[in-house]
Amino acid sequence: MIKAENIKKSYGSRENRFSVLKGISLTIEDGDFIVILGASGSGKSTLLNIISGLEKADEGVIDFDGTKIESLSEEKLTEFRKKYVGFIFQQYYLLPNLNVDKNVKMGADLAGNKDYREMIQAVGLGEKLQKYPHELSGGEQQRVSVARALAKKPEILFLDEPTGALDEETGRQVLDYICELQKKYHFSICMVTHNSNIAEMAKKVVKMNSGRIVDTYTNEVQKSAYEIEW
Amino acid sequence: MIIGIKDGMKLIGIFVMSFCAVFVCTLFLNYNMDFAGIKEQIAGPELMVLFDALLATGKVVSALAGGCLLLTSGIMLVFYIRNYIDTHKKELGILKALGYSNLRIAKDFQIFALSVFAGTALGFGGAFLMMPEFYRTQGKDGLLPEITPHFHPMLAVELIILPTVAFALLAVGYACIQLRRPAIDLLKERFSMPRKPFRGKAKEDTSADGIPFLKEVQSATLRSKKTLVFFVTFGSFCYSSMMQMSGSMDELASEMFACMVFMIGVLLSSITLLLAITTVVHGNTKTIAMMRVFGYTHEECKKAVLGGYRPWAYIGFVIGSIYQYAILKIMVSVVFRDWDNVPDYKFDVKACIIVLISFTILYELIMYCYAGKIKKVLLKEVMME
Repeated sequence: MIKAENIKKSYGSRENRFSVLKGISLTIEDGDFIVILGASGSGKSTLLNIISGLEKADEGVIDFDGTKIESLSEEKLTEFRKKYVGFIFQQYYLLPNLNVDKNVKMGADLAGNKDYREMIQAVGLGEKLQKYPHELSGGEQQRVSVARALAKKPEILFLDEPTGALDEETGRQVLDYICELQKKYHFSICMVTHNSNIAEMAKKVVKMNSGRIVDTYTNEVQKSAYEIEW
Repeated sequence: MIIGIKDGMKLIGIFVMSFCAVFVCTLFLNYNMDFAGIKEQIAGPELMVLFDALLATGKVVSALAGGCLLLTSGIMLVFYIRNYIDTHKKELGILKALGYSNLRIAKDFQIFALSVFAGTALGFGGAFLMMPEFYRTQGKDGLLPEITPHFHPMLAVELIILPTVAFALLAVGYACIQLRRPAIDLLKERFSMPRKPFRGKAKEDTSADGIPFLKEVQSATLRSKKTLVFFVTFGSFCYSSMMQMSGSMDELASEMFACMVFMIGVLLSSITLLLAITTVVHGNTKTIAMMRVFGYTHEECKKAVLGGYRPWAYIGFVIGSIYQYAILKIMVSVVFRDWDNVPDYKFDVKACIIVLISFTILYELIMYCYAGKIKKVLLKEVMME
């Protein structure tokens, strides 16, 4: 479980200083599917970066199963990400000079996962092991990044606008793969998006605006990727 | 015009190489031209042998230093242009999409020859500053008739104008070839790399527990920019050969000459190594960032990105040792074979060990500095791009 309390973050200095997060508190339970919803500039990506250990908060406490993330050194944070966290970004960030197989291996090696090709099969790319990122479509590249993130067997998966660069059909397909894999592997999901329709897939929705949580609610029914509007 | 004078002057590696090449060539060729004019003043067969040997030395040194360094500068220019196109794909793609022809865009690349012009002109001028002392040393302290340095305009044309024009043409020609890809590929920044990573029939990797990921990144880094492997090897080669040469030639040449070789060696090797490693780190920023996001340690990132170059650096060192021994041996036993005062040349083990230790320190120091740079790669900055 991740519990964030009173997270504050500012950028810039003196007169140019602006507050991005103004005291955010939230909890992500094990196996949860939480969506952080907000417009551009609302601070949702900064919040994701902080609770995932990519960035440090100015104030506040982040507790991950008893470990205070904000007090960890850079080395310990790296260890934390290695053991527990998976990432999927809008821009995929695949390594361009490695093929699909090797890109997924990047995540698998960290967890000593020898069966990582099962994950590639699971996202429907079993036939494209030897392809390089530039030889794949956007949707395929994002599926590789899904396989890469899950090949390291994370306890929690952080997704930053995973469908932001994809068309509707491909976006639905990627989200569907992620949900199916969550059912199978039981990891938690924390997804950042500006698309309120995608929020219908989540169990819990946290709405943000100007660095503050303006609303939190739980969906009675979690819709599938093919049931939501786009 | 997307390439400014500033870009043209950024090619510090080419500038240094051109400077060194022309500096050495001007000294020796100018001396040869002046020296050839006093042939009738040479008295005695023994001095005639020395006269011929000195002329031959000038030719050999000019051909080796000039040829080798200019060739390497050419390779470096090609590498710079390729790198420039790779990092400015969008701007170039827009120009192509707007209707600019490949040649029209490529013409701007001639500005890269500015570094060659600056290097060769300074090398030429610098050589003239050193010339009186060089002539005195070459004259074996009064053994040969005294000669004064003369300016040979033809030499200026051959060593400044011709290389500048040749490099400008090379830049335009190579850029033109590199730009022969669809505008959409440039606009979408599609990664250009061979479909098959290995030569010949690519063996399909079907085993899931093959080479570890870090090894994969290491070899992929080497494979993706082979020119950098060449530069790391070349930098080590220069250091090894020139340092050992300057250390072991004390009985064969003057202190000034040894000092000159030493300076060129340090300058050339440091700049080549720094440029190569800078490009490696810059080119892999995203890889490093993603590896760190996923939880790879700083040590693992450093090893994956920089570790693959170490064997090549030491291979360069070994080749440099053999090369300097062969050159000095040839000079002593072939060029100066009829000259009595030349001592026998043997491989200087002591110099080799000292140079190896200093090289290891220099190389590891450079790696240490760049490891610091890798540590400073900000994950967020890369992701915000």
